[in-house]
Amino acid sequence: MLRSLRSRLILASVLWTGGLLMALHIFSMVAIHHLPRFRPGQLGVPVSIAIAVMCAGVVVLWFSLKPFRRLRGTLAAVRAGRDRQIAGSYPTEVQPLIDDLNTLLADREKAVQRALTTAGDLAHGLKTPLALLRQESERAEVSGHLEIAENLAQQVDRMTRQIDYQLARARAAASGGSGNARCGAHESAHALARTLSKLYAGRALNIVVEIPADLHFRVQREDFDEMLGNLLDNACKWARTEVRLHYAESALITDDDGPGIPEDLRTAVLARGVRIDQAAPGTGLGLAIVHELADLYGGSLQLCASPSGGLRAILRLPVSDTPQPLGSRAK
Amino acid sequence: MVEDEALLSRQLAKGLSDGGYAVDCAAEGEQADVLVSTELYDTIVLDLGLPKIDGLSLLRRWRAAGLTTPILILTARGSWHEKVQGIDGGADDYMVKPFRIEELLARVRALIRRTSGFASPELQCAGLALNTATAHVSVEGLPIKLTSHEFRVLSYLMHRQGKIVSRSELIDHIYAQDADRDSNTVEVFIVRLRRKLGMPFIETVRGLGYRLRDPAQPGE
Repeated sequence: MLRSLRSRLILASVLWTGGLLMALHIFSMVAIHHLPRFRPGQLGVPVSIAIAVMCAGVVVLWFSLKPFRRLRGTLAAVRAGRDRQIAGSYPTEVQPLIDDLNTLLADREKAVQRALTTAGDLAHGLKTPLALLRQESERAEVSGHLEIAENLAQQVDRMTRQIDYQLARARAAASGGSGNARCGAHESAHALARTLSKLYAGRALNIVVEIPADLHFRVQREDFDEMLGNLLDNACKWARTEVRLHYAESALITDDDGPGIPEDLRTAVLARGVRIDQAAPGTGLGLAIVHELADLYGGSLQLCASPSGGLRAILRLPVSDTPQPLGSRAK
Repeated sequence: MVEDEALLSRQLAKGLSDGGYAVDCAAEGEQADVLVSTELYDTIVLDLGLPKIDGLSLLRRWRAAGLTTPILILTARGSWHEKVQGIDGGADDYMVKPFRIEELLARVRALIRRTSGFASPELQCAGLALNTATAHVSVEGLPIKLTSHEFRVLSYLMHRQGKIVSRSELIDHIYAQDADRDSNTVEVFIVRLRRKLGMPFIETVRGLGYRLRDPAQPGE
């Protein structure tokens, strides 16, 4: 077939012009010779040929411009994060443009990665000095400078929260919704339960996880761990004896049997960095991060009362229904 | 304690020794590896972002070599993905910087207690009670005042009730590596402890070391 857009356009215009000339010629012959004794029957064949040729021209044009419509669709997919690059082959005039676009996309992704690494290094680099400041505040407290100690500790806390929050956001914004991401909920949830039972080893908590083995989400593993980790950690922090995670009605549901959160505070804890209890460090911030991350992936987080007495957190995320490649299923 | 930031390392070491522990510090992985392979520690506090060998590789190497010492990761890396990697790598606890020194002490105490098989912070042997959280010691309910070294000796013996503890093992666990060690002082501590406790809880096993046991039970 004709690979060049130019030749397609030329063919289209030749066809169109030919048809038009033929029609005009017939029209003029009719007008000049046969107008007094008009006989439509004799004109049928040439007129329909003329119309058919014109239609063929339009069809060729339509097909020639099809790659551009395809490109628009692909670009929308890239924008929504379902694709990273513009795939497929295009007419020779358009292909260099597509290649340039792909290079631009790759450069942009690299730049985002670089910015993210810088942000991460910056945040981690700040944490050790913050740890030092925190020790200094404790020293000030011991030597009787209670007010200085208190102020210092408060500011250290604020800075830490800011760093944690912005770091999580930056990470999510960079990866948020990238389409080929796929994360096994079962594996991640069990790894988190293992980790939490070590971290809360002193409390004899019962952490129950019931997640289907083949459940996958269109979410980066790091972000999924961050969301579920924060939810389970918050549940463990407040639970008296048991934390339960299960999957029902296409949502991940975390229950604890702790005191729960009063209804009027539930929306507030999802807002940026609100802490409902100053005594338990980091509470609320964790839930706010989950909320934000879920949002970025087009999911949602809801809080309500749990049947087991405490808080129930309902996390919805885009499910990945891409069939697993045979090789990995065999594993 | 493995921490590369010198100032933080000093402050932590001070906090931990104020809390009653003998602390050796390593500023990077190689040094930590040497210390861990030559000494027997009750617990290891490990930073992840270390020069040369990173903490996670060190942790995996130690666990692969069969090291069972409880390890607490103390790091700036606070994402859940990193926590999972740390715990799955063989760590027993994970703390994120910045932190309160009291919390670190509480977690170290709990870690040591759990590894010796005690669930509650109150260790008991007949009428003798030692609270690892409050550093409170009592015999038959009467409080007893101990110096920090005496407390360390008693606490170490209490964590290993009924087992023989050699004198050199005791020295290793009550003094930091670079401290001025004198094996005779252990005997002095034992004599003072026996006097303060009143009852013969601490028994000398000739040629082997010491053992803490219920004075009412006949010795072997």
